[in-house]
Amino acid sequence: MVQYDMESNITDEPNLVCSFTEQMDTANCLKVEEEILNKVRESKVPVIFNMQDVDYVSSVFLGMCLKVSKEIGFPNFTVINVQPNVKKVFKIAGFDKQISIT
Amino acid sequence: MTDPKTFNVNKIMEKAASAAAVFSQLSQEHTDRIVKAVYEAAFDNRVKLAKLAHEETGKGVWRDKVIKNVVASQFVYENIKDQKTAGIISCDEKSGIVEIAQPIGPIFALIPVTNPTSTVMFKILIALKTRNPIIIGPHPSALKCSTETARICYEAALKEDAPEDCVQWLNEVSMDLTHELMAHKGLSLVLATGGAGLVHAAYSSGTPAIGVGPGNVPVFIEQSADARFAVEQIIISKTFDNGTVCASEQAIVAERTNADEVIAQFKQQKCYFLTQEEVKTLEAVAYDSKRGLMNADIVGKSAPVIAKMAGIDVHADTKLLLARLDGVGKEYPLSGEILAPILAFYKVGGFDDAVNQCIDLNFYGGIGHTVSIYSNDEEKIGKFASIMNAGRILVNTPSSQGAVGGIYNTLDPSFTLGCGSGGKNITTDNITAKHLLNIQRIARRRINSRLEHFDQNLYFDESLDAKAIEKKFNMND
Repeated sequence: MVQYDMESNITDEPNLVCSFTEQMDTANCLKVEEEILNKVRESKVPVIFNMQDVDYVSSVFLGMCLKVSKEIGFPNFTVINVQPNVKKVFKIAGFDKQISIT
Repeated sequence: MTDPKTFNVNKIMEKAASAAAVFSQLSQEHTDRIVKAVYEAAFDNRVKLAKLAHEETGKGVWRDKVIKNVVASQFVYENIKDQKTAGIISCDEKSGIVEIAQPIGPIFALIPVTNPTSTVMFKILIALKTRNPIIIGPHPSALKCSTETARICYEAALKEDAPEDCVQWLNEVSMDLTHELMAHKGLSLVLATGGAGLVHAAYSSGTPAIGVGPGNVPVFIEQSADARFAVEQIIISKTFDNGTVCASEQAIVAERTNADEVIAQFKQQKCYFLTQEEVKTLEAVAYDSKRGLMNADIVGKSAPVIAKMAGIDVHADTKLLLARLDGVGKEYPLSGEILAPILAFYKVGGFDDAVNQCIDLNFYGGIGHTVSIYSNDEEKIGKFASIMNAGRILVNTPSSQGAVGGIYNTLDPSFTLGCGSGGKNITTDNITAKHLLNIQRIARRRINSRLEHFDQNLYFDESLDAKAIEKKFNMND
């Protein structure tokens, strides 16, 4: 459901890249949330959520984004490869004002 | 001693109240005679008023203002003339519901400098059709042409025995007077078409208001589109009255696969792509960084005139100035609304990237207004439409004329385009006569056949859940 990568080619600096491979509905989010937060706390590096394969996010996922942001600071959290449906959700929720979403 | 300013506003509102009272007695037939006379007078003066507007404001193109006046008079009239707006407008014996249209009362209509005669014609026609007196509040830079339009309409109305003072206009304009009128207890509605500040003031006045949000129209030229046709249509739209329509295109988004063809078409059709240095120069001229808005001096000017203001050398027949941008937001001043023949241009990867780019533009000052797509792929058109936040999603259509309605589609012709809650408006509709009515409903007693045979004591039985109650209820169907 989530693939973790510390050797990302996306940036030169080490990042924790979390690539989601399934829809991030409530059930799936609850399965992975604790694991992701633990990885974030342990890695102590900027975090990237790769959303390439996701076209639905639940409110639990939005909450998880906020938790990750608070854990590592907003500037250290990036969401990439968002599909239009998901981008609109972030826009409506106003997350794009604090989190880099591309 | 009476404050002259207060006296003035009170006097205006006293006259409006009297006009409203008399108006409420008029029949549909009499109302329609008045509206027809006003339409004909407005239409007959379309050229004179267009020229007057152009001379006074120095904005736009007089021939295009003639077309705006035609839409605001003839097209609007054709659209509303057969509508029932007085007395009983529907009667359904089966449901027992009778609808009665009542006027809402005095309307204060704020008029923008960009459409100073057409918007007056439009608002007067829809107000009189619904038996509402109207007070025209012109823009200070278009006082003469707006008041002359109002005078012509009023005199035509009087010839058909319209109520005295059913159309009034302000011969002087000040923010104090405007605010006082908007907040007057006798006023029923503010029809606010203008800048964001004015619209916000209307909403804050305590009087019901129908306002419009700002636009920032992205145009997605999808790879299945005919690039030559798309560019031709965009030029028709963006040069119309030198881009003063709030629904005019603001940014072009093309995919990697067709961007070069689109660029070539723009160049072939006499549009100029600015260098990065020229983009910076133009930003300083086109954007007022202190106010965070477009510079009013370039609104409605032609591309060569604006280029000259910026010290950019372009051919005299240049139609549009295009600026290639990498982003959207304050750091990219040309990515916002500019009511002039200037377009931002974005070359992106594929379909999803293009839609994401349009979302950014849509949400940067244009939520709820209008978006545009050129495509021959119905699936992609549908996806684009479902994701954008816009009252009008125009397909293969010039957006200026398309959003106004009645020319390229069957949208209600209107010079007040609702932008929904995203634009802080109550509706996404093209505002027209139906929005200026109070609909009363007579509800006659009718039997609810299911409720009639349902034992309502069951509601008090806590052991019955919604499904159980529904089952019992439907047994009597």
